Amino acid sequence: MHLQSDSALTDEQRAIRDAVEEFALEELRPEAQELDDAEAFPEDAWDDLAELDLTGLTVPTECGGFDADKTTYSVVNEAVAYGHLAVATALSVHCLATSCIAEFGSDEVKEEWLPEMVDGRPVGAFCLSEPGAGSNPAEMTTRAEETEDGYRITGEKQWITNGQRAGVYIVFAKTDPEDRGSITQFLVPADYDGVEVGKKEHKLGLRASDTTGMTFDGVEIPEKYRLTPEGEGLSAAFKILTGGRLGIASQAVGVAQAALDEAIAYAGEREQFGKSIGDIGSIRQKVADMATQVAASRLLCREAARQADAGEDSRVIASMAKYFASEAAVDVTNEAVQIHGGYGYMSEFDVERFYRDAKITTIYEGTSEIQKTIIARDLLD
Amino acid sequence: MKVLVTVKEVAAVEDDFEIDGLSIDDRYLEYDLNEWDDYAVEAAVQIAEAADEDVEVVAATIGPERSEETIRMALAKGADRAVRVWDDAIADQTLLDVNAKASVFEQVVAEEEPDLVLTGVQAADDALGATGVALANRVGYQWAAVVNDLDYAAGDDVATVRRELEGGVEEITEVDLPAVLSIQTGINEPRYASLRGIRQAQQKEIAPHDLSDLGLDAETVDGALELTDMYEPESESDATIFEGGAEETATELANVLRDKGVVGE
Repeated sequence: MHLQSDSALTDEQRAIRDAVEEFALEELRPEAQELDDAEAFPEDAWDDLAELDLTGLTVPTECGGFDADKTTYSVVNEAVAYGHLAVATALSVHCLATSCIAEFGSDEVKEEWLPEMVDGRPVGAFCLSEPGAGSNPAEMTTRAEETEDGYRITGEKQWITNGQRAGVYIVFAKTDPEDRGSITQFLVPADYDGVEVGKKEHKLGLRASDTTGMTFDGVEIPEKYRLTPEGEGLSAAFKILTGGRLGIASQAVGVAQAALDEAIAYAGEREQFGKSIGDIGSIRQKVADMATQVAASRLLCREAARQADAGEDSRVIASMAKYFASEAAVDVTNEAVQIHGGYGYMSEFDVERFYRDAKITTIYEGTSEIQKTIIARDLLD
Repeated sequence: MKVLVTVKEVAAVEDDFEIDGLSIDDRYLEYDLNEWDDYAVEAAVQIAEAADEDVEVVAATIGPERSEETIRMALAKGADRAVRVWDDAIADQTLLDVNAKASVFEQVVAEEEPDLVLTGVQAADDALGATGVALANRVGYQWAAVVNDLDYAAGDDVATVRRELEGGVEEITEVDLPAVLSIQTGINEPRYASLRGIRQAQQKEIAPHDLSDLGLDAETVDGALELTDMYEPESESDATIFEGGAEETATELANVLRDKGVVGE
């Protein structure tokens, strides 16, 4: 059950929400636990996402995409995460990559990559983080040396979603290792010499998501694959990540809603002390708190989307949405486990996975601390 | 060619609900496209997609304005346009019987002149299961009921259908067109609406008609059936669910078996 007023959405947005949610609940959720166990990504489900046009969600229509407005983008991210967060994450990272190409690529590069990526493959990945450069990407050491007809890229990237699956990587590198301002955005095809997928990471949650390190060992790319002018890579990354943050925030809402729904259903079924635990005051208080947190998170996401669609600067509200919704997701999934008691700690129950999955939302694409830094900077500086 | 698919928005009740007289309040209901009709729409769209010629898929429904949201999902899955029939006289009925529905769809068929009509085997809410065949009888089309496999390409004069009979027997029949086929679940795998399909569906026509538009009067839908009562049946036995660890629940089960005399002391 969705605690969301239908009137907040257009007919089209509502139909998209209903269709994607039905898909997520029927096709993604049932296999989520098994995939989590096996640390395997559902490639079949990915093909289904492509059939639904979700892999072209943020691609302009002239490149064959759906060119969703931000509200639709938020609705879709929430609905997919309602089924399985690991799949939603893979999708949103693919969308980051298509957004980079759509926004910064030349017509030739767009034509070369986007129509196929809209159809789901090649899958895209976004390589910003490094072992020594997480929240502060300016410390990155990946290097792009100019060659006769392009660049030679050398460096290590870390925690790359879709690392193994991807056919194309958006890579950030410095053209001058001494200059923090020289970060530039490049496109690197997976089949180029020197592209090496590192070890698969084993994670607390989001275990079905394909997360690896990446090594770029002197990968020679042509000039056309430099997507931004030299030195403009970091501002480009931040611009794309502002949109990405709305996606992650919305995904946090989806996980939290899923946990809330499970908790409500369980509270109605489970009997202790001769009555259903949903009749016990402390449980009722918890559910009210959880529902309020989910509703507030969703409204922040929708407002961030509305501002972006209206052409306003949505950076601060997007950070607020990402910060609030991800922390709320951790709280709500925690309480959902608590309401389930001992069963909630068992992997047979979905809330156990929701709880593990939710945590990543406060970390990736800008930690809560970074979001607060962005918010405070706007208020105080 | 033209394929007409009759579709219906059906209501499903939530786990907890209250009956108020002859109806259940809206707040306990969730509306959705009838499951069987989803398969019928998919069958029609597959014929259209595989065709060398132009195939128009028209969805027809009897339902209030609210049902447009549901009917639009059929359009999002590939139907080209829809016809929606509603009238105060229909709203006044406690139960719209098969004759009334057949009378309405008879006029829709007369107007659209489809080569093939696909219906669901039944509707999930009133489960009368007769609209398709009754319609075929009215319009003088050939028919086949409970079709679970369909071999038909646009332009063919004959459809080869497999039908489910009692006792696990199946028959294969050839049906001359024009025909009405009632479609069983499992005949295909209905698609999810794609985002692009949903966007296109917002622009597709859902033409509203009342009875007079179809040349019918209010008496046409005055059926022989009337809904007189609605109640929840008493359950004859209760299931007991043991919760907890294996040892605990095994003990509880053993106690029940002993109490009921299934096993000795």
